[in-house]
Amino acid sequence: MACNKEKHQLIHKYMDEDITLLEKKELEAHLVKCDICHGHLRELRKTVAIIQSASHIEAPADFTAQVMAGLPKETQKNKWKTWVRRHPLIITAATFFLVFILSISSIWNDGDGEITVAGEGQFYVDQERGVVVVPEGETISGDLLVRNGNIEVEGEVLGSITVINGEQYLASAGHVAGEIEEINRVFDWLWYRTKAFFADVMSFMNSSDE
Amino acid sequence: MDATVKKIIIEVKKGNQQAFAELVELYKDKVFQVAYRMLGNVHEAQDISQEAFLRAYTNIESYDINRKFSTWIFRIATNLAIDRIRKKKPDFHLEDQVAGTEDLDYYSQIPGDDELPEDVVVQHEMQEWIQDEIMMLPPKYRSAIILKYMEDLSLKEIGEVLNLPVATVKTRIHRGREALRKRLRD
Repeated sequence: MACNKEKHQLIHKYMDEDITLLEKKELEAHLVKCDICHGHLRELRKTVAIIQSASHIEAPADFTAQVMAGLPKETQKNKWKTWVRRHPLIITAATFFLVFILSISSIWNDGDGEITVAGEGQFYVDQERGVVVVPEGETISGDLLVRNGNIEVEGEVLGSITVINGEQYLASAGHVAGEIEEINRVFDWLWYRTKAFFADVMSFMNSSDE
Repeated sequence: MDATVKKIIIEVKKGNQQAFAELVELYKDKVFQVAYRMLGNVHEAQDISQEAFLRAYTNIESYDINRKFSTWIFRIATNLAIDRIRKKKPDFHLEDQVAGTEDLDYYSQIPGDDELPEDVVVQHEMQEWIQDEIMMLPPKYRSAIILKYMEDLSLKEIGEVLNLPVATVKTRIHRGREALRKRLRD
Protein backbone atom coordinates (compact mmCIF):
# COMPACT_ATOMS: atom_id res chain seq x y z
CA MET A 1 0.00 0.00 0.00
CA ALA A 2 1.33 3.35 -0.98
CA CYS A 3 -0.12 5.30 1.92
CA ASN A 4 1.44 5.31 5.34
CA LYS A 5 0.38 3.37 8.38
CA GLU A 6 -1.17 6.42 9.91
CA LYS A 7 -3.81 6.65 7.17
CA HIS A 8 -4.42 2.93 7.52
CA GLN A 9 -5.12 3.40 11.24
CA LEU A 10 -7.44 6.31 10.49
CA ILE A 11 -9.52 4.14 8.18
CA HIS A 12 -10.05 1.59 10.95
CA LYS A 13 -10.83 4.29 13.47
CA TYR A 14 -13.35 5.59 10.98
CA MET A 15 -14.86 2.10 10.67
CA ASP A 16 -15.16 1.85 14.46
CA GLU A 17 -16.73 5.32 14.66
CA ASP A 18 -13.93 6.05 17.03
CA ILE A 19 -12.53 9.02 15.13
CA THR A 20 -12.22 12.69 16.16
CA LEU A 21 -13.73 15.40 14.00
CA LEU A 22 -10.29 16.66 13.07
CA GLU A 23 -9.08 13.19 12.08
CA LYS A 24 -12.26 12.64 10.09
CA LYS A 25 -11.69 15.86 8.11
CA GLU A 26 -8.08 14.82 7.47
CA LEU A 27 -9.13 11.37 6.25
CA GLU A 28 -11.90 12.67 4.04
CA ALA A 29 -9.51 15.16 2.43
CA HIS A 30 -7.06 12.31 1.83
CA LEU A 31 -9.67 9.94 0.38
CA VAL A 32 -10.57 12.45 -2.31
CA LYS A 33 -7.00 12.40 -3.54
CA CYS A 34 -6.08 8.75 -2.88
CA ASP A 35 -7.83 5.99 -4.84
CA ILE A 36 -5.96 3.25 -3.00
CA CYS A 37 -7.17 4.35 0.42
CA HIS A 38 -10.64 5.00 -0.94
CA GLY A 39 -10.76 1.49 -2.38
CA HIS A 40 -9.47 0.09 0.88
CA LEU A 41 -12.28 1.71 2.85
CA ARG A 42 -14.85 0.52 0.32
CA GLU A 43 -13.60 -3.05 0.58
CA LEU A 44 -13.68 -2.95 4.37
CA ARG A 45 -17.25 -1.70 4.32
CA LYS A 46 -18.24 -4.45 1.93
CA THR A 47 -16.53 -7.03 4.14
CA VAL A 48 -18.48 -5.85 7.15
CA ALA A 49 -21.73 -5.85 5.18
CA ILE A 50 -21.14 -9.46 4.12
CA ILE A 51 -20.39 -10.59 7.68
CA GLN A 52 -23.47 -8.79 8.93
CA SER A 53 -25.61 -10.46 6.27
CA ALA A 54 -24.97 -13.82 7.93
CA SER A 55 -28.32 -15.10 9.06
CA HIS A 56 -29.08 -15.36 12.72
CA ILE A 57 -28.64 -18.87 13.97
CA GLU A 58 -31.21 -20.21 16.40
CA ALA A 59 -30.67 -22.84 19.04
CA PRO A 60 -32.32 -26.23 18.36
CA ALA A 61 -35.93 -26.55 19.54
CA ASP A 62 -35.19 -28.89 22.44
CA PHE A 63 -32.22 -26.84 23.64
CA THR A 64 -33.71 -25.66 26.95
CA ALA A 65 -35.06 -29.12 27.78
CA GLN A 66 -31.59 -30.58 27.15
CA VAL A 67 -29.94 -28.03 29.41
CA MET A 68 -32.48 -28.60 32.16
CA ALA A 69 -32.02 -32.37 31.92
CA GLY A 70 -28.29 -31.87 32.49
CA LEU A 71 -28.65 -29.77 35.63
CA PRO A 72 -27.81 -31.26 39.00
CA LYS A 73 -30.99 -32.49 40.71
CA GLU A 74 -32.74 -29.86 42.73
CA THR A 75 -32.44 -30.81 46.40
CA GLN A 76 -35.59 -31.70 48.31
CA LYS A 77 -34.95 -28.72 50.57
CA ASN A 78 -34.82 -26.33 47.63
CA LYS A 79 -37.95 -27.80 46.08
CA TRP A 80 -39.75 -27.24 49.35
CA LYS A 81 -38.36 -23.69 49.60
CA THR A 82 -39.50 -22.94 46.07
CA TRP A 83 -42.95 -24.34 46.76
CA VAL A 84 -43.26 -22.32 49.95
CA ARG A 85 -42.27 -19.14 48.13
CA ARG A 86 -44.84 -19.81 45.46
CA HIS A 87 -47.70 -20.38 47.88
CA PRO A 88 -47.38 -17.70 50.55
CA LEU A 89 -51.12 -17.68 51.31
CA ILE A 90 -51.32 -21.38 52.06
CA ILE A 91 -48.32 -21.10 54.36
CA THR A 92 -49.80 -18.10 56.16
CA ALA A 93 -53.12 -19.87 56.61
CA ALA A 94 -51.41 -23.04 57.81
CA THR A 95 -49.33 -21.08 60.30
CA PHE A 96 -52.36 -19.31 61.71
CA PHE A 97 -54.26 -22.56 61.96
CA LEU A 98 -51.39 -24.20 63.81
CA VAL A 99 -51.10 -21.32 66.27
CA PHE A 100 -54.87 -21.42 66.79
CA ILE A 101 -54.91 -25.17 67.47
CA LEU A 102 -51.95 -24.93 69.82
CA SER A 103 -53.46 -22.12 71.85
CA ILE A 104 -56.84 -23.84 72.05
CA SER A 105 -55.36 -27.18 73.06
CA SER A 106 -53.17 -25.54 75.68
CA ILE A 107 -56.19 -23.84 77.20
CA TRP A 108 -58.24 -27.03 76.97
CA ASN A 109 -55.55 -29.07 78.71
CA ASP A 110 -54.97 -26.35 81.24
CA GLY A 111 -55.05 -27.23 84.90
CA ASP A 112 -54.75 -31.01 84.46
CA GLY A 113 -58.24 -31.71 85.71
CA GLU A 114 -57.95 -29.24 88.57
CA ILE A 115 -61.29 -27.69 89.27
CA THR A 116 -61.37 -23.94 88.79
CA VAL A 117 -64.13 -21.42 89.25
CA ALA A 118 -64.39 -17.88 88.00
CA GLY A 119 -67.02 -15.66 89.52
CA GLU A 120 -67.80 -13.72 92.63
CA GLY A 121 -69.98 -14.68 95.52
CA GLN A 122 -70.46 -17.15 98.31
CA PHE A 123 -69.78 -20.65 97.10
CA TYR A 124 -67.39 -23.37 98.08
CA VAL A 125 -65.44 -25.96 96.19
CA ASP A 126 -65.66 -29.56 97.26
CA GLN A 127 -62.36 -30.84 95.86
CA GLU A 128 -63.01 -34.47 96.83
CA ARG A 129 -66.19 -34.74 94.82
CA GLY A 130 -65.08 -32.23 92.24
CA VAL A 131 -68.13 -30.09 92.77
CA VAL A 132 -68.66 -26.38 93.14
CA VAL A 133 -71.54 -25.80 95.50
CA VAL A 134 -73.65 -22.72 95.73
CA PRO A 135 -75.18 -23.29 99.17
CA GLU A 136 -78.81 -22.85 100.00
CA GLY A 137 -79.75 -19.29 100.85
CA GLU A 138 -76.75 -17.76 99.04
CA THR A 139 -77.16 -15.43 96.10
CA ILE A 140 -74.52 -14.95 93.42
CA SER A 141 -75.06 -11.73 91.58
CA GLY A 142 -72.72 -12.31 88.58
CA ASP A 143 -71.83 -15.10 86.16
CA LEU A 144 -70.10 -18.30 87.12
CA LEU A 145 -67.57 -20.24 85.06
CA VAL A 146 -66.64 -23.71 86.26
CA ARG A 147 -63.93 -25.73 84.62
CA ASN A 148 -63.18 -29.43 85.14
CA GLY A 149 -65.92 -29.93 87.61
CA ASN A 150 -69.62 -30.09 88.29
CA ILE A 151 -71.75 -27.45 89.88
CA GLU A 152 -74.60 -27.83 92.29
CA VAL A 153 -76.86 -24.87 92.71
CA GLU A 154 -78.92 -24.93 95.88
CA GLY A 155 -79.03 -21.18 96.26
CA GLU A 156 -79.62 -18.52 93.65
CA VAL A 157 -77.51 -17.36 90.70
CA LEU A 158 -78.60 -14.15 89.02
CA GLY A 159 -76.16 -14.44 86.11
CA SER A 160 -75.41 -17.30 83.73
CA ILE A 161 -73.52 -20.48 84.43
CA THR A 162 -71.01 -22.06 82.09
CA VAL A 163 -69.65 -25.50 82.86
CA ILE A 164 -66.67 -26.69 80.95
CA ASN A 165 -65.86 -30.37 81.13
CA GLY A 166 -68.47 -30.99 83.74
CA GLU A 167 -72.14 -31.05 84.53
CA GLN A 168 -74.52 -28.79 86.31
CA TYR A 169 -76.97 -29.91 88.85
CA LEU A 170 -79.77 -27.64 89.82
CA ALA A 171 -81.38 -28.46 93.16
CA SER A 172 -85.12 -28.06 93.37
CA ALA A 173 -84.65 -25.18 95.73
CA GLY A 174 -81.95 -23.56 93.57
CA HIS A 175 -82.54 -20.93 90.97
CA VAL A 176 -80.54 -19.61 88.03
CA ALA A 177 -81.73 -16.44 86.38
CA GLY A 178 -79.42 -16.57 83.35
CA GLU A 179 -78.52 -19.35 80.95
CA ILE A 180 -76.81 -22.58 81.79
CA GLU A 181 -74.33 -23.93 79.35
CA GLU A 182 -72.35 -27.15 79.44
CA ILE A 183 -69.31 -27.60 77.26
CA ASN A 184 -67.99 -31.11 77.23
CA ARG A 185 -66.39 -31.78 73.91
CA VAL A 186 -63.50 -30.15 72.10
CA PHE A 187 -65.75 -28.93 69.31
CA ASP A 188 -68.17 -27.39 71.76
CA TRP A 189 -65.17 -25.82 73.39
CA LEU A 190 -63.85 -24.53 70.07
CA TRP A 191 -67.22 -23.07 69.27
CA TYR A 192 -67.36 -21.43 72.64
CA ARG A 193 -63.84 -19.97 72.22
CA THR A 194 -64.63 -18.67 68.77
CA LYS A 195 -67.83 -17.03 69.99
CA ALA A 196 -65.94 -15.55 72.93
CA PHE A 197 -63.21 -14.32 70.62
CA PHE A 198 -65.68 -12.60 68.30
CA ALA A 199 -67.59 -11.18 71.24
CA ASP A 200 -64.29 -9.69 72.47
CA VAL A 201 -63.50 -8.31 69.05
CA MET A 202 -66.99 -6.82 68.75
CA SER A 203 -66.87 -5.20 72.14
CA PHE A 204 -63.39 -3.91 71.37
CA MET A 205 -64.63 -2.45 68.10
CA ASN A 206 -67.66 -0.97 69.76
CA SER A 207 -65.57 0.60 72.48
CA SER A 208 -63.16 2.04 69.92
CA ASP A 209 -66.11 3.49 68.03
CA GLU A 210 -67.21 5.41 71.02
CA MET B 1 -29.75 -4.51 33.38
CA ASP B 2 -33.25 -5.48 32.44
CA ALA B 3 -35.38 -5.68 35.62
CA THR B 4 -37.07 -8.91 34.46
CA VAL B 5 -33.73 -10.63 33.94
CA LYS B 6 -32.56 -9.43 37.35
CA LYS B 7 -35.66 -10.87 38.99
CA ILE B 8 -35.17 -14.21 37.24
CA ILE B 9 -31.52 -14.37 38.30
CA ILE B 10 -32.40 -13.63 41.94
CA GLU B 11 -34.77 -16.61 41.77
CA VAL B 12 -32.04 -18.78 40.23
CA LYS B 13 -29.65 -17.76 43.01
CA LYS B 14 -32.24 -19.00 45.52
CA GLY B 15 -32.09 -22.38 43.79
CA ASN B 16 -35.22 -22.15 41.63
CA GLN B 17 -34.61 -24.35 38.58
CA GLN B 18 -37.76 -23.23 36.80
CA ALA B 19 -36.42 -19.68 36.78
CA PHE B 20 -33.22 -20.97 35.21
CA ALA B 21 -35.24 -22.48 32.35
CA GLU B 22 -36.62 -18.99 31.65
CA LEU B 23 -33.08 -17.61 31.62
CA VAL B 24 -31.96 -20.27 29.13
CA GLU B 25 -34.95 -19.42 26.89
CA LEU B 26 -33.91 -15.76 26.85
CA TYR B 27 -30.25 -16.28 25.98
CA LYS B 28 -30.06 -19.64 24.17
CA ASP B 29 -30.08 -18.19 20.64
CA LYS B 30 -27.35 -15.63 21.33
CA VAL B 31 -25.13 -18.17 23.05
CA PHE B 32 -25.76 -20.83 20.44
CA GLN B 33 -24.97 -18.36 17.68
CA VAL B 34 -21.61 -17.38 19.22
CA ALA B 35 -20.73 -21.04 19.76
CA TYR B 36 -21.75 -21.97 16.21
CA ARG B 37 -19.81 -19.11 14.62
CA MET B 38 -16.74 -19.93 16.67
CA LEU B 39 -16.81 -23.67 15.99
CA GLY B 40 -18.48 -23.90 12.59
CA ASN B 41 -20.71 -26.86 13.30
CA VAL B 42 -24.08 -27.39 14.91
CA HIS B 43 -23.19 -30.44 16.94
CA GLU B 44 -20.25 -28.86 18.71
CA ALA B 45 -22.09 -25.58 19.07
CA GLN B 46 -24.88 -27.36 20.93
CA ASP B 47 -22.38 -29.15 23.11
CA ILE B 48 -20.51 -25.99 24.03
CA SER B 49 -23.54 -23.76 24.55
CA GLN B 50 -25.23 -26.35 26.80
CA GLU B 51 -22.02 -26.67 28.76
CA ALA B 52 -21.90 -22.86 29.05
CA PHE B 53 -25.39 -22.79 30.60
CA LEU B 54 -24.55 -25.65 32.96
CA ARG B 55 -21.50 -23.75 34.17
CA ALA B 56 -23.54 -20.59 34.53
CA TYR B 57 -25.98 -22.53 36.71
CA THR B 58 -23.36 -24.08 38.96
CA ASN B 59 -21.46 -20.80 39.31
CA ILE B 60 -24.46 -18.48 39.58
CA GLU B 61 -23.33 -17.51 43.10
CA SER B 62 -20.25 -15.81 41.68
CA TYR B 63 -22.26 -13.82 39.13
CA ASP B 64 -22.53 -10.12 39.97
CA ILE B 65 -26.17 -9.15 39.50
CA ASN B 66 -25.24 -5.59 38.54
CA ARG B 67 -23.40 -6.65 35.41
CA LYS B 68 -24.95 -7.72 32.16
CA PHE B 69 -25.85 -11.40 32.11
CA SER B 70 -25.15 -11.61 28.36
CA THR B 71 -21.55 -10.49 28.93
CA TRP B 72 -21.06 -13.16 31.57
CA ILE B 73 -22.58 -16.04 29.60
CA PHE B 74 -20.71 -14.97 26.43
CA ARG B 75 -17.51 -15.05 28.39
CA ILE B 76 -18.15 -18.60 29.56
CA ALA B 77 -19.20 -19.68 26.05
CA THR B 78 -16.23 -18.10 24.22
CA ASN B 79 -13.76 -19.56 26.72
CA LEU B 80 -15.26 -23.02 26.25
CA ALA B 81 -15.27 -22.59 22.46
CA ILE B 82 -11.62 -21.50 22.37
CA ASP B 83 -10.67 -24.48 24.56
CA ARG B 84 -12.53 -26.75 22.19
CA ILE B 85 -10.77 -25.26 19.14
CA ARG B 86 -7.38 -25.86 20.79
CA LYS B 87 -8.18 -29.53 21.36
CA LYS B 88 -9.94 -29.85 18.07
CA LYS B 89 -10.37 -33.31 16.66
CA PRO B 90 -11.17 -34.00 13.02
CA ASP B 91 -13.79 -31.54 11.85
CA PHE B 92 -17.22 -32.07 10.58
CA HIS B 93 -19.17 -29.50 8.67
CA LEU B 94 -22.70 -28.38 8.06
CA GLU B 95 -22.62 -29.90 4.61
CA ASP B 96 -21.64 -33.31 6.01
CA GLN B 97 -24.38 -35.86 5.96
CA VAL B 98 -26.08 -36.63 9.22
CA ALA B 99 -25.07 -40.16 10.17
CA GLY B 100 -27.58 -42.79 9.04
CA THR B 101 -29.49 -40.50 6.69
CA GLU B 102 -29.50 -39.72 3.02
CA ASP B 103 -29.65 -36.21 1.61
CA LEU B 104 -29.93 -34.75 5.06
CA ASP B 105 -27.09 -32.45 5.92
CA TYR B 106 -26.87 -30.25 8.98
CA TYR B 107 -28.24 -27.23 7.13
CA SER B 108 -31.57 -29.01 6.95
CA GLN B 109 -31.53 -29.10 10.74
CA ILE B 110 -31.22 -25.34 11.08
CA PRO B 111 -34.68 -23.84 11.20
CA GLY B 112 -35.20 -21.28 8.47
CA ASP B 113 -37.93 -19.29 6.78
CA ASP B 114 -39.98 -20.94 4.09
CA GLU B 115 -38.40 -19.85 0.85
CA LEU B 116 -38.34 -21.09 -2.72
CA PRO B 117 -35.96 -24.02 -3.15
CA GLU B 118 -33.57 -22.13 -5.49
CA ASP B 119 -33.39 -19.27 -3.06
CA VAL B 120 -32.67 -21.73 -0.30
CA VAL B 121 -29.76 -23.17 -2.23
CA VAL B 122 -28.26 -19.77 -3.00
CA GLN B 123 -28.85 -18.70 0.57
CA HIS B 124 -27.13 -21.85 1.84
CA GLU B 125 -24.13 -21.34 -0.40
CA MET B 126 -23.81 -17.73 0.67
CA GLN B 127 -24.15 -18.59 4.35
CA GLU B 128 -21.73 -21.46 4.04
CA TRP B 129 -19.21 -19.22 2.36
CA ILE B 130 -19.46 -16.58 5.10
CA GLN B 131 -19.01 -19.20 7.81
CA ASP B 132 -16.02 -20.69 5.95
CA GLU B 133 -14.43 -17.25 5.80
CA ILE B 134 -14.98 -16.73 9.51
CA MET B 135 -13.48 -20.14 10.23
CA MET B 136 -10.33 -19.08 8.32
CA LEU B 137 -9.68 -16.39 10.93
CA PRO B 138 -7.40 -17.19 13.85
CA PRO B 139 -9.65 -17.82 16.91
CA LYS B 140 -8.63 -14.65 18.72
CA TYR B 141 -9.70 -12.45 15.79
CA ARG B 142 -12.71 -14.68 15.14
CA SER B 143 -14.19 -14.13 18.60
CA ALA B 144 -13.77 -10.35 18.37
CA ILE B 145 -15.35 -10.17 14.89
CA ILE B 146 -18.29 -12.41 15.87
CA LEU B 147 -19.07 -10.39 19.00
CA LYS B 148 -18.78 -7.12 17.11
CA TYR B 149 -20.62 -7.86 13.87
CA MET B 150 -22.94 -10.75 14.74
CA GLU B 151 -23.87 -9.95 18.33
CA ASP B 152 -23.54 -6.16 17.95
CA LEU B 153 -21.58 -5.72 21.16
CA SER B 154 -19.73 -2.49 21.88
CA LEU B 155 -15.93 -2.49 22.02
CA LYS B 156 -16.12 -2.10 25.79
CA GLU B 157 -18.47 -5.09 26.14
CA ILE B 158 -16.22 -7.19 23.92
CA GLY B 159 -13.34 -6.23 26.22
CA GLU B 160 -15.36 -7.51 29.18
CA VAL B 161 -16.29 -10.75 27.45
CA LEU B 162 -12.75 -11.52 26.30
CA ASN B 163 -11.10 -10.04 29.40
CA LEU B 164 -8.98 -7.70 27.29
CA PRO B 165 -8.32 -3.95 27.31
CA VAL B 166 -10.37 -2.05 24.73
CA ALA B 167 -7.17 -1.14 22.82
CA THR B 168 -6.44 -4.85 22.30
CA VAL B 169 -10.01 -5.47 21.18
CA LYS B 170 -9.62 -2.72 18.57
CA THR B 171 -6.41 -4.23 17.26
CA ARG B 172 -8.02 -7.67 16.98
CA ILE B 173 -11.01 -6.28 15.14
CA HIS B 174 -8.77 -4.27 12.77
CA ARG B 175 -6.67 -7.33 11.99
CA GLY B 176 -9.69 -9.58 11.66
CA ARG B 177 -11.33 -7.12 9.31
CA GLU B 178 -8.16 -6.83 7.23
CA ALA B 179 -7.78 -10.59 7.00
CA LEU B 180 -11.39 -10.97 5.84
CA ARG B 181 -11.07 -8.10 3.38
CA LYS B 182 -8.02 -9.64 1.73
CA ARG B 183 -9.80 -12.96 1.28
CA LEU B 184 -13.15 -11.57 0.21
CA ARG B 185 -11.47 -9.36 -2.38
CA ASP B 186 -10.29 -12.40 -4.30
